[in-house]
Amino acid sequence: MILFRNRVWVARTVLACALFLLATAAVGAQEIQGLPRPTALASQSLRPYWHVFAAYAIVITLIGGWAISIGRRLRDLEDRLR
Amino acid sequence: MRTYIDQIRAIIWKDLVLELRTRERIAAMGAFAVLAAILFNFSIDTTSTRPEDVAAGLIWMTLVFGGLLGVGRTFYLESQDNALLGLLTSPVPKDAIYLAKTLANFALLFIVSVLVLGVFALFFGLDLGANVGGIILVLGLGSLGFVALGTLFAAISTGTTMGETLLPILVFPLLVPMVIYGVTSTGRLIAGRPFDEVEGNVRMLGAFAVAALAAGAMLFRYVVED
Amino acid sequence: MATAGMRRGGTALTLVGLAGLVFVYWMSFFWVSTEINQGVVQRIFYVHVPAAWTSFMAFGFSALASAMYLWLRDDRLDRAALCAAEGGLVFGTIVLTTGPLWGKIAWGTYWTWEPRLTLTLLLWFIFVGYFMVRNSTEDPEKGKRFAAVVAIIGALDIPFIHMSVIWFRSLHPEPVVAKPDGPSLPADMLTTLLTSLAVFTVIFLGLFLYRYALEGLRAEADLRSRSTAT
Repeated sequence: MILFRNRVWVARTVLACALFLLATAAVGAQEIQGLPRPTALASQSLRPYWHVFAAYAIVITLIGGWAISIGRRLRDLEDRLR
Repeated sequence: MRTYIDQIRAIIWKDLVLELRTRERIAAMGAFAVLAAILFNFSIDTTSTRPEDVAAGLIWMTLVFGGLLGVGRTFYLESQDNALLGLLTSPVPKDAIYLAKTLANFALLFIVSVLVLGVFALFFGLDLGANVGGIILVLGLGSLGFVALGTLFAAISTGTTMGETLLPILVFPLLVPMVIYGVTSTGRLIAGRPFDEVEGNVRMLGAFAVAALAAGAMLFRYVVED
Repeated sequence: MATAGMRRGGTALTLVGLAGLVFVYWMSFFWVSTEINQGVVQRIFYVHVPAAWTSFMAFGFSALASAMYLWLRDDRLDRAALCAAEGGLVFGTIVLTTGPLWGKIAWGTYWTWEPRLTLTLLLWFIFVGYFMVRNSTEDPEKGKRFAAVVAIIGALDIPFIHMSVIWFRSLHPEPVVAKPDGPSLPADMLTTLLTSLAVFTVIFLGLFLYRYALEGLRAEADLRSRSTAT
């Protein structure tokens, strides 16, 4: 939990990860442009997987987000009480 | 029982006399209805839709928005000069106050709904024919359900810092059944179908109004206590 | 101290639930067989349906606790209603986002005015109103009463909304578990679904207790600040 107390550190790490992913995605997009375009059928068959992954990620994000928000509110309240 | 009805009648009378003197809410709702009908007229592309096909939905939207305008101010005047406190501390039971306020609102909104129907019939060239009684019955039941919920939530929103802006957020999700049954039955009646065809819908509208009235009368005391 | 115990219990239950969620994900990705008609996208169903069940349970519990609060005027009931309503909104958001993700593949469109989706959307908005009312009163006691009335009216309106939207239009797959002649799902899919239902319920209960401990601490803090102020 010590790790999460340092909010600046967390924020910086998240930002760094996001920038890294963005940069990779940009490079990847450049690479893909050189490749032959996928046929409609191929992209169609992968689409359900993306939807399943997205749905499962949403579940984790929302439940985790709620838990973290409760934890944060609890901590703030305790700090104020002290 | 006798005094209960007398009390309700006294409050309705007071509200309607006040309204007759100022004509504040009925004028606002009436003007809104006519202006909305004009704007709606220009919002339809008459080359692709026939006005009479969409008139039912537009009538109900006008009624809902115009109704909010008037119902939202149910307790406004009284909360301004603390007269609400006087009304609430009087020995009149709280549910009687609620029923009286609701029925006074209903009288106003019913007049407005007939006006709305007339205006739309005029502007959209509707041929109401023999169904005019049925349509007025549907609009009346709809208005009753609307004011039953609207009056309760007007009391709530008047007590908050957000005031009337909160009212649509609270009321709109609850009004969906009323709009569905109301619009479909009005639409069919405008199209000249027989009343038997929409009888089930009209019954649901009535059930909605009665249930909303009962729930409002039960819960109003918790809204205005202290 | 009851609050501390509740907090510990809530944390423990949540951790158990989250471990269960990992297990459910494993089941759904690697164990359960793929449904023959819909294919892979049907796996969304293992989180969508339990989330819907949980959010309806939470909203129902919130309305019930609200009614009890108006009757008994015990602050704990109001706190329970508040915490359940928050959970209902979180799980309702899951329902409202995973549903369209499934619908886009299965129906070809993200949103349809399908009865149960519509009902969930309207309930979600009713409980958004619940929080708006609660947070916009100067006197907290008044906010509690107003919010309770909103929750109760919302619950009472459910049968009407349900009937009307079904009457309006129906596209949703028929119930596959709660049917008179027994469930029609293959056994492994049913096991996955039931496990997921249990896991979601445990997660909700855990987080509900955790959230309730927060509200309890807040009440204690209010009490303390009031006693030092006077």
